[in-house]
Amino acid sequence: MDIRRVELHDFRNYAAAALELSPGVNVLVGENGQGKTNALEAMLLIAVGKSHRAHRDRDLIRWEKDRARILLEASTRYGDRRLTLELGPEGRRAFANGVQVGRMTEFVGQVQVVLFAPEDLDLVKGSPRVRRRFLDTELGQMEPLYLHHLSLYNRALLQRNRWLKSSGLSPDDGVLATFDEQIAFHGAHVIHRRLRFLARLRAYAARIYSDIASGREQFALSYRSSVLGVEEGMTVEQIEGAVQRALERNRAQDLRFGTTSAGPHRDDILLFLDGREVHTAASQGQQRTIALSLRLAEIDFMHEELGEYPVLLLDDVLSELDDLRQRNLVLGMSRKVQTVITTTSLNRLGQELDDFRLFRVCSGIIAEERV
Amino acid sequence: MYGYPEPVARAIEHFMKLPGVGPKTAARLAFHVLEMSEADVKAFAKALIDLKTGLTECAVCCNITEASPCAICRDPRRDRRIICVVQEPRDVIAMERTREYHGLYHVLHGAISPMEGVGPQDIRIRELVTRVGENEIDEVILATNPNVEGEATAMYISRLLKPFQIKLTRIAHGLPVGGDLEYADEVTLAKALEGRRAL
Ligand SMILES: Nc1ncnc2c1ncn2[C@@H]1O[C@H](COP(=O)(O)OP(=O)(O)O)[C@@H](O)[C@H]1O
Ligand SMILES: [Mg+2]
Ligand SMILES: [Zn+2]
Repeated sequence: MDIRRVELHDFRNYAAAALELSPGVNVLVGENGQGKTNALEAMLLIAVGKSHRAHRDRDLIRWEKDRARILLEASTRYGDRRLTLELGPEGRRAFANGVQVGRMTEFVGQVQVVLFAPEDLDLVKGSPRVRRRFLDTELGQMEPLYLHHLSLYNRALLQRNRWLKSSGLSPDDGVLATFDEQIAFHGAHVIHRRLRFLARLRAYAARIYSDIASGREQFALSYRSSVLGVEEGMTVEQIEGAVQRALERNRAQDLRFGTTSAGPHRDDILLFLDGREVHTAASQGQQRTIALSLRLAEIDFMHEELGEYPVLLLDDVLSELDDLRQRNLVLGMSRKVQTVITTTSLNRLGQELDDFRLFRVCSGIIAEERV
Repeated sequence: MYGYPEPVARAIEHFMKLPGVGPKTAARLAFHVLEMSEADVKAFAKALIDLKTGLTECAVCCNITEASPCAICRDPRRDRRIICVVQEPRDVIAMERTREYHGLYHVLHGAISPMEGVGPQDIRIRELVTRVGENEIDEVILATNPNVEGEATAMYISRLLKPFQIKLTRIAHGLPVGGDLEYADEVTLAKALEGRRAL
């Protein structure tokens, strides 16, 4: 799939701007604070219905204006798409090929993009919570039942923790067991689906890593469960038994601390380079490459699921990669997917790429430059 | 600053105690009442008071009723050996609309929820156990809500009733019948797929 054209009207710092993209590599170059990320944000908004950094539509509308409009034209294997999204004080209005679409859930997903943003480095550097959120969003998009089990798990967990905190008042009359049983059931489904997802992610991410790093080091990952005895390849029932046993074993401790110490809410993804766990020992470039590999694996998932590649948006990733990795990333990816890259300076990349479109971004004005 | 006259402010304050009513809606309701005829307002107020003072709990099934035992518990045509356990009085009305159920009910008035400070002793579980112990019961149907609290309550009750060696059943939750498959939400559909059976 390719994005052909993007128009921005009173979106962020753009009054009116247009971008005619090439199906290959597109580079947005400009100083900091000029609107490069804003342009990618607009494409993401059309694709998934939300921004990666704004929580309110108000922040997306140009200051002192009432409404913003984004137009995006794409060609997909299901035909051409002309998508418009208007943001205003009364809310949103969305149009697909000229027809108004009532619900955002029907509007999103018509074009697919994968965005790699500087914040994604947290996948490596951040706390386990960041990696769990990554699992939950990726899986949630692909498997509605995952979200179902996750939300019931979280609810049962809240109830159990509340009971643990207030249990000093009443002896256990069997209430705890009723929540434990549900935690074990839904928790087992959550863990089972995560393990299945990670088995696929591992293969994709390892290959992407190796492509970017020219095979210099091997990347691997595994699921670390806080639940003793949980292993890949177990059935849901086996995992359920393990969670149940963990809840019973930890009961005294959980009562003391008023919280549940084991379960998918405490699990993590472990990351390895050449068999050694990646902590801060890995270089900036290596950490960035791992984060990229995890995020870019989504491209392969989407391709497998939908039969076509999404558009790749790379925001500010080049600066911390050495020349080799920059080259591998951009050349490797652009062979299969349309790519839009932002950067403050083109550096050597300009010479490496023989065919790309270059846009200069300067305080909300986009101008194509000849290369 | 100009404010609402005291009686209006007081009415607004009370409307806001209703579920889902914020200050704006409360103000609209208050001014609507002001427009109503005095007779209507009086009838309205009386209906509210009667709701509270004219009703009591059925000594058998704990449903709300004007006279105890309630009409269902008094009805000689009902099968007294089956009890359907529900969370709220309005669930009884929903079940009755099916015209398929001819046993008796037991209304819990809630579900176990530590987050809301509701434990087993705060709902009519004790009454249910006593009732099952003192009567000839063949089956107890647990029809609490299909959420975490409803499941916990059903599980809790089923453990208490195990020793009586009666049939314990839980109502099934599945695809709405008569609707088209394409309108079922993904979770309902996926769960129906999980629970499929051989033909
Ligand atoms: N709603 C808005 N209206 C006008 N300008 C905005 C709005 N939101 C952000 N900006 C401006 O956009 C600029 C940031 O753009 P961004 O795309 O993040 O820059 P970069 O080119 O570094 O990626 C800042 O100068 C900011 O003041
Ligand atoms: Mg930026
Ligand atoms: Zn009754």
